Amino acid sequence: MNGKKTKIALFLCKCGANIADFIDLKEIESRFSGNDTTSFVETQDLLCSPAGKKNMLETIEKNKPDFVVVAACSPQMHEKTFQEVVADAGINMARMQMANIREQSAWVTTDKKKATLKAIALINAAMERSVLHDDLQPKTMECLTDLIIIGGGMAGIEAALLAANAGRKVTIVEKEISLGGSVIKIEEVAPNMECAPCLLSPRLAAVRDNKNIRVISNASVTDVLGFFGNFKVKIKRMARYVKESCIGCEACFEVCPVTVDNDFNLGLGTKKAISTLFAGSVPAAAAIDKTNCLHFTDGSCNACAAVCPFQSIDFEDTGEDIEVSAGAVIVATGCTTVNPSTVPETGYGKIENVYSMPEFERIASSNGPYGGEIRLKNGEPPRSVAVIHCVGSLSDGGVPYCSGICCMTAIKTGELLRKKNPDVEVYSIHDRLVFNGPEQQAFFEKQKEEGTHFVKTERLRDLRVVQNGTTIEISGPDFQPIAVDMVVLSTGLTPQKGTLALARMLNADLTDAGFFKADHPILRAIGSSIDGVYTAGCCASPCDVTTAITRAQAAAGDAISKLVPGRKIALEVMTTIIDEIKCAGCKLCIAVCPYKAIDFDGQKKVCVVNEAICRGCGTCAATCPGGAARAIHFSDQQIMAEIGGLLHG
Amino acid sequence: MDDFNPAIIAFVCNWCSYAGADKAGGQKLPYPSNVKLIRVMCSGRVDPQFVMKAFREGADGVMVLGCHPGDCHYRNGNMKALRRFKLLERMLSQLGIEKERFKLDWVSAGESARFQELAKKMTDTIKKLGPLHLRGMVESEVA
Repeated sequence: MNGKKTKIALFLCKCGANIADFIDLKEIESRFSGNDTTSFVETQDLLCSPAGKKNMLETIEKNKPDFVVVAACSPQMHEKTFQEVVADAGINMARMQMANIREQSAWVTTDKKKATLKAIALINAAMERSVLHDDLQPKTMECLTDLIIIGGGMAGIEAALLAANAGRKVTIVEKEISLGGSVIKIEEVAPNMECAPCLLSPRLAAVRDNKNIRVISNASVTDVLGFFGNFKVKIKRMARYVKESCIGCEACFEVCPVTVDNDFNLGLGTKKAISTLFAGSVPAAAAIDKTNCLHFTDGSCNACAAVCPFQSIDFEDTGEDIEVSAGAVIVATGCTTVNPSTVPETGYGKIENVYSMPEFERIASSNGPYGGEIRLKNGEPPRSVAVIHCVGSLSDGGVPYCSGICCMTAIKTGELLRKKNPDVEVYSIHDRLVFNGPEQQAFFEKQKEEGTHFVKTERLRDLRVVQNGTTIEISGPDFQPIAVDMVVLSTGLTPQKGTLALARMLNADLTDAGFFKADHPILRAIGSSIDGVYTAGCCASPCDVTTAITRAQAAAGDAISKLVPGRKIALEVMTTIIDEIKCAGCKLCIAVCPYKAIDFDGQKKVCVVNEAICRGCGTCAATCPGGAARAIHFSDQQIMAEIGGLLHG
Repeated sequence: MDDFNPAIIAFVCNWCSYAGADKAGGQKLPYPSNVKLIRVMCSGRVDPQFVMKAFREGADGVMVLGCHPGDCHYRNGNMKALRRFKLLERMLSQLGIEKERFKLDWVSAGESARFQELAKKMTDTIKKLGPLHLRGMVESEVA
């Protein structure tokens, strides 16, 4: 210690009676006062009070100790408080160590003598450790303030608009040829029965007109590199064979000789081999279905190019690879539904007029295959419709959870049907019904009043759906058989296809159910397990439109509050550093790092910690066989000293 | 053996088990003062050498407590600890240390009663085993 004796100041807090009544502080004072390394011992009534802190500050300034030990409550309670006091007194915050004699001794030890002995051990350990503390300085890093949003549904759009309106540059990557996601495919949002396309179209226009937003559609993310404040996202834009100059005038639709299934309408109805996603879409440009277009299959047709008033057809389009840099990534990839084919008892795919809920939503939509007219396959309007709840949910082989929002969608069916034909009979065949809050409950009561027959069965998995002449018969072990014209299967919600691959690219964790896992399920539900990767909408768990948008706004708001132009972001101070002289390049640390924060320097043949990614768990330090990896503030030496201090206190 | 007062060190992770012990304090759930805690950021930080050092310095029992599997603040540091200490458990008996003297377990921030229970049980176990006697040969090997 450079010949100069290290001096530690010890502050004892009575914490009112909380510590003083259970621990003999006089005994502790005398135990440490005579100590060679103790500068002074000072006992205070309430160290965290304004008077206590003032006194502490003045005492430190007067006596100028090298290190400070505070024997009081848990560091989780007041570590920061006392770090600030010592910093104000001109001592580096890392030179303050707490001994938790309240939670770990006074409050849990019934015998005062034993409590005092334990407190002495705890203080001794803190003192032994504190003299090995290095000064810590705050670390900051320049950051990019732009955002990239993966998924251009309602959540992605709202996140983009919030950030763009705050002046940030935003890139939206959308897998379809235009924005809108799953919300654009439904007619009305329950329980308020808001028209979904009407909700979306002004928002789509706002995206189109916002100079800060770039939309890359018909595209997917192929790789994600970097870290919070400095991501590089690689994007593959697939060829659409139509230039951005296309305004979606539809002139080419009439001349295109090829008719294909309409995938936007889930295979219901048809479209041409050149089509837009829907009228008024953003981006407005159409796209060509290469596998069916005659120009590509036999070279016989150029009709669309000939008729296009904007010369927008581009048969030479090869797509492109794009790289976008951003400070944060917001995942808004949504979710999908259970395929009812996996539940053969429902007759789905075999019996005509048995539809999945998403298909029914398309049929009922004014932008759908039949212009919003709900019809059976024979063109007649249905006189009776049954909705079966929880298809593929909460059953053997199905999703093991309740998606929480499908009951609302299921009972909306009655509302939509009665708007078209007030005399239609509607059955809701259910086991459990889940409604949240007064609006949803009121909507349910309204459906009962307006005539939906709610049929309760505890044996949903034993339902049988069979064709019986011209009607469909639904039977179960605990209700009278029901004959209807149409059946709608309300299916549970599952993670979007490609979620696992995307999570791997982002190095983010998924839940057991396969959705993105929250950084903290309560405190930070919109953060993922990786700093700077956010979730918005249903990719984190099934949710209604309101929640999806709220999550999106929260995610974008959190991101832009941390990524501020001209301001650096704070980095973890207590990272690990690797001593390149000691490192043998064995790479064990790389294998155990939960954050992929360690790289191998091929030239020097050593491992290097990226301090922008490291969160300071210290797992690498525990693994390093050569002692090269040192966890700052939790080094081997510091912990070893603490062990010795605790056992010899 | 009634007068035997074992020394037990528990390495606890900052986010779950330290907080669980704090909650036990807040609820004033008493546990033997023999159990003394060392805070680490993650159970994955606990080097087997820390455990051996504790035994060498006079601990009769050592615990490592972390977040439950799936709840680790650092994604999966606790699982790294699990792998590491499964190995150490096997080594301990080879070194002449009963494997019951070491315990790896999980305590969440809310599980104050579980923390109290583990502290009591560990103390009982070590009291039954009696003081740890490291023979000189083993001690020098470990050192």
